[in-house]
Amino acid sequence: MSAPMIDTDVHCAPASFEALFPYLDAYWREYITGGTVRIGPALGGQYPMGAPTTGGAPPATVEALRERVSGFAILTCLSAFDANRNPYYEAALTRAINEWLRERWLDRDDRLRASLTVPTSDPEAAVAEIERAAAHPGFVRVLLPVRSVDTRYGNRRYLPVLQAAADAGLPVALHAWGRVGNAPTATGFTHTYLEDYVANSQVIVQGQLVSLIAEGVFERLPSLQVSLLECGFSWLPALLWRFDKDWRGVWREVPWVKENPSAYVYRHFRLTTEPAHLPRDDRHLAELLEMARASDVLMYASDHPHDHGDGGTRLLAAVSEADRAAILHDNAAAHYGLDV
Amino acid sequence: MIMLVDADIHPAAMPKEIAARLDEPWRTRYEEFGYRVANPPMIYPRLTNGGNRLDAYPEEGLPGGDLDLMRAQLLDEYDVTYGVLIPLQSHGFGAVAPDFGQAMCRALNDWLATEWLDREPRLRSSLAITHESPEAAAEDIARYAGDRRFVQALLPTSGETTFGRAKYWPIYEAAEDVGLPVAFHLGGMENHRGAGWPSFYLEEHVWMGNLEAALAVSLICEGVFERFPRLRVVLVEGGISWMGPLMWALDDGFDKLRADLPHLSRKPSEYLREHIWLTTQPIEEPAEPRHLAWALEHTGMTDHIMFASDYPHWDFDNPRTALRDVPKELRAKFYGENARALYGLEAA
Repeated sequence: MSAPMIDTDVHCAPASFEALFPYLDAYWREYITGGTVRIGPALGGQYPMGAPTTGGAPPATVEALRERVSGFAILTCLSAFDANRNPYYEAALTRAINEWLRERWLDRDDRLRASLTVPTSDPEAAVAEIERAAAHPGFVRVLLPVRSVDTRYGNRRYLPVLQAAADAGLPVALHAWGRVGNAPTATGFTHTYLEDYVANSQVIVQGQLVSLIAEGVFERLPSLQVSLLECGFSWLPALLWRFDKDWRGVWREVPWVKENPSAYVYRHFRLTTEPAHLPRDDRHLAELLEMARASDVLMYASDHPHDHGDGGTRLLAAVSEADRAAILHDNAAAHYGLDV
Repeated sequence: MIMLVDADIHPAAMPKEIAARLDEPWRTRYEEFGYRVANPPMIYPRLTNGGNRLDAYPEEGLPGGDLDLMRAQLLDEYDVTYGVLIPLQSHGFGAVAPDFGQAMCRALNDWLATEWLDREPRLRSSLAITHESPEAAAEDIARYAGDRRFVQALLPTSGETTFGRAKYWPIYEAAEDVGLPVAFHLGGMENHRGAGWPSFYLEEHVWMGNLEAALAVSLICEGVFERFPRLRVVLVEGGISWMGPLMWALDDGFDKLRADLPHLSRKPSEYLREHIWLTTQPIEEPAEPRHLAWALEHTGMTDHIMFASDYPHWDFDNPRTALRDVPKELRAKFYGENARALYGLEAA
């Protein structure tokens, strides 16, 4: 019997704040009710509820999930990644979400794992949350939004968070979208959702990958692994050719980077199969998969309930049986240390 | 003989050369206040020779400031048929108050005409414009239209907002009217929302490709090419190979999100292939040379890719060797034919 499939990115979200109230104290319950704060699934325009790519609201309960997704899955709850700028609120909310994930999901279905959500605006609080919650074996990665606050994640200010994740033996996962109070492009907000949609994979995630390597994070934290979720992957070859060449030119600026940047990427990064933005021509697709070393870096994700088109299906149909096994199971099992 | 067009050469004017070409009150204002826009090297210093070829420093002035040295090191050395100047000082000049900026851009254009174009028939230039004051920029695009040695209007990659926005449409309208391409080169009012600010020049330099991808997306999604169907856009120094993957992502997204884009009549990749041109430097160098050939084919725009050297900057691409991994049948196009067609240059 072949190994079970590992679905590395399945979304869930509380339907409303009522579900999180048991995990929030009186001050925050009043902050939320008095401020009429909502926790809707659209997340400030990140996932417009009617957009065909969104695919409707994520499941809010295990029962709802299991009507739609079977098998072994890693949950991603993005509900804390909104536009609020109050760091204390972000810390309280992420902790409540983690408690909700633990009680309402992990403790009720042993084929589920989850992403530990941490605040982005207060690294000390993020470290404290990792130290508090990471012991639960259900949390298999630390989740950060790919759209960060002010600086990229390689920046010195985030090092304690990355260190805490590495110390806990957890990969850090960057997921598409995030702090939407911060514009998706370098120079501002967008009028169309498509511009926002491609900003995640074609622009922002690449800046984060470059930052983590250029700042020497993997020389300091050689055990740290990074997952890139819902950020695409077909951009990887072109980025690495440019990054490797530029590093050979200006390595004096970053002497702590000891190897070709692409070597760090293939050792430390794994990317999910959705969205798979692929060429339509079969030969071009085969060329892309070779250039990207797809079977070395990709992990299967349904990205439920999102719908990015038929790319993921075409991808799995285009690879060999051995590569399919790597993408469906082996790469994720190794990356997250899963014995399934 | 193969035609060689270099689509990215940087001349640099000394402040006194600009001041000498300014009338009052601009001259005093320039001498007392200069222009207060942080240029990219202030934010991310280039650690070796200030980002220039060490041998490109003339006895007096700045690298790119001496025509004779540029002739010796570039035009004569490599038998360049035509070279296109890209004066990066316009990125700062074009971002200040409209009248002051226009005066500085005109001073720079006058310097380009008299010190470079009049003296060297192989050179062409980009026109400095006040990109943050589009009405004044449009005025100057029309004003210089009779001098065909200015072959494109120059914009930076970073503006006060995204370059697809209607704010900038007067520039595109004027350029389309007179048949000039617009070229975007890294610089301007650098900002890093989205991913946030990087720490190093290495990151900024890699980011140029991402920034130009975002720029192309903005132009498409805002409907610039629907509104200006004859507009031609050159993206300089951001690389080439990201274009195929960008097209795949945009077309996939467009399939799903059409209701948000009622102003677009075609797939994004069709606009990109028709309206965008790219330059080679710094050309990507995969470990497997055939991968570059594949990536070029994936763009579907090998008639729109032009050689560039980036003289006198540190990462100068030598025309003799830069295209060695480009398939033979594409080299003549990249070296000159594509640029000749875009800029309407006469055969050598």
